[in-house]
Amino acid sequence: MASVDSGIRDKSAAAEPQAGVAQAAVGARTHFRRFTAFQRWVHFFIMISFSILVLTGMPLKYSDQAWAQRWMGFIGGVQSAGMIHRFAAMIMVTCVICMMGYFAVILIRTKGRFWGPGTMVPSRQDYRDLKAMVGWFVGATPRPKLELDRYAYYEKGEFWAASAGVIIMCVTGAILWYPEVAAWYLPGIVINFALVNHSGGALLAMGFVVVFWHFFHAHLRPEAFPMDKAMFNGGLPLEEYAHERPLEYERRVREGTLDEVLVAPLSPRRLTVENVVWWIITGAALFLWAVFTIFVVWVTYNWLTSF
Amino acid sequence: MSTRGFLPTFLATVFVLTAVAAAPAGASTFTIPTGASDRCLECHAKPDLGTIEVNGETKSLTVSEDGWHNSVHSRLDCTACHAGFEARDHTPEETEGWYTQAKLTACSDCHAGEFKMYDKSFHGDLVMNEGSKKAPACGDCHGSHGIISPSSPAFRAAVPDMCGRCHGDKRSTYLDTYHGKSQSLGGTSTAVCTDCHGSHMILPQSNPASTISSQNVVATCGKCHENASPRFASFLVHVDRSTPKSSLWVWLMEMNHAFLIGVLFTLGGLHCFLYFYRGLKEGLYHRG
Repeated sequence: MASVDSGIRDKSAAAEPQAGVAQAAVGARTHFRRFTAFQRWVHFFIMISFSILVLTGMPLKYSDQAWAQRWMGFIGGVQSAGMIHRFAAMIMVTCVICMMGYFAVILIRTKGRFWGPGTMVPSRQDYRDLKAMVGWFVGATPRPKLELDRYAYYEKGEFWAASAGVIIMCVTGAILWYPEVAAWYLPGIVINFALVNHSGGALLAMGFVVVFWHFFHAHLRPEAFPMDKAMFNGGLPLEEYAHERPLEYERRVREGTLDEVLVAPLSPRRLTVENVVWWIITGAALFLWAVFTIFVVWVTYNWLTSF
Repeated sequence: MSTRGFLPTFLATVFVLTAVAAAPAGASTFTIPTGASDRCLECHAKPDLGTIEVNGETKSLTVSEDGWHNSVHSRLDCTACHAGFEARDHTPEETEGWYTQAKLTACSDCHAGEFKMYDKSFHGDLVMNEGSKKAPACGDCHGSHGIISPSSPAFRAAVPDMCGRCHGDKRSTYLDTYHGKSQSLGGTSTAVCTDCHGSHMILPQSNPASTISSQNVVATCGKCHENASPRFASFLVHVDRSTPKSSLWVWLMEMNHAFLIGVLFTLGGLHCFLYFYRGLKEGLYHRG
């Protein structure tokens, strides 16, 4: 049976011409397509909207601070920040809806089987990976060579944390956007709950997903530093991928689905363009990472000294 | 006319025409009356005039000239409110006696309607009937010499701090709502204390005539929130998230977030830091 993630095929792979022509092209298709164009665009829009949401929302959470008041003035006041925040929220909601549709398609194609190798559902192997890594972290065992499938344990953890988080933020955000409508169906205290959860969830999302997790694993992890580019150009050399995620590679060879995810490398010209884009994104990401880290340290310090 | 000479001439014409058009408008504005007020300011505008104890409060004898001239009351003479004062040294007794009286009556002569409402209000009752020295009279909220319009953004922005002088706990819980946060960040569209509680005729929630009584609260919310319903109005405006005494559920939710943030930031931080540390120690960031 085909793996779950191969349920959706890249257009370039699916629209492959007939056998004879394909045979000639195989030589050029030396790269493993890690993410489909759909996944990369969704990631891009979530990245942009998330940054905007944090930059326009956080000053509201810390409205008593001088930096928040100055920043709010800089971006044009609380009313325009509110409009930008809601616009960015609509981008993110659109991404969430697209992903829901994507999951629905997967579920239909796999006849409801959403677990198994290569999926986001945690497995026993993830537990073993985590244990081996922790052993290395504390100096008890040498650095392990992880037998990764498509997603590592830290990517699965992030996926579920972010999914739960984005749903909480969407629901509470909607209540805060239309509190009168919410109160037609729910008691008024739900508006209080929404405020607490939107504000706490924002800090959790920013701190955990961005500062302590995502930026680290995508940029600062030794294997990825300075940036894991697979999410932006979609492909990396097959040997590299086979080394990095041996289980998925072996599985695809075994199932005969490797051909679906092979793509040609980018042309030198496009590579130059993308290189510029990568460095801009990497620079912005590292800068934001530094700012958010200082911010979270400041929040933690304030929180600890408040007792 | 050469092209070089045209632009300055053109601009000069525009400038002159604008000045001519604007001049009559400027001439028709109210001129500040000279006389009594200016005579008082000869002394009272001096910044080093000192202070005086009235009614147990230390008051500065200096009047801000700018504040006074910018206030709507600068059309009046000083003696319109400071009745009986003359251009000589005033004795402390004279001032004390005037202050006790004038604290209320100096305003009520002109603002009879507002005074009537205030008289019936919770604050008014405390001052007029209970003889409270703490409860606010007119000047405690409006100021005295530099009075500005209560509907001006500057006055509205100052309301939470004004009420917070006595109702500090309510101020801090207000500042924790969207209304208050928006105000702190310079927003002008959200409600301040007086929008919900009223101004001159503030009454306790238990009084049916109060703007926040169960009979009136929905209409009060409805001033801004068109579709306000009783359930909408049951939103807890003044809730202190940091204590279970205010609202148990809100506090539990807040604690839940504090717990999640504490645990996840610690574990996540450790995972990242140790990963980074081991990678650095084993030279994984150096690539040939």
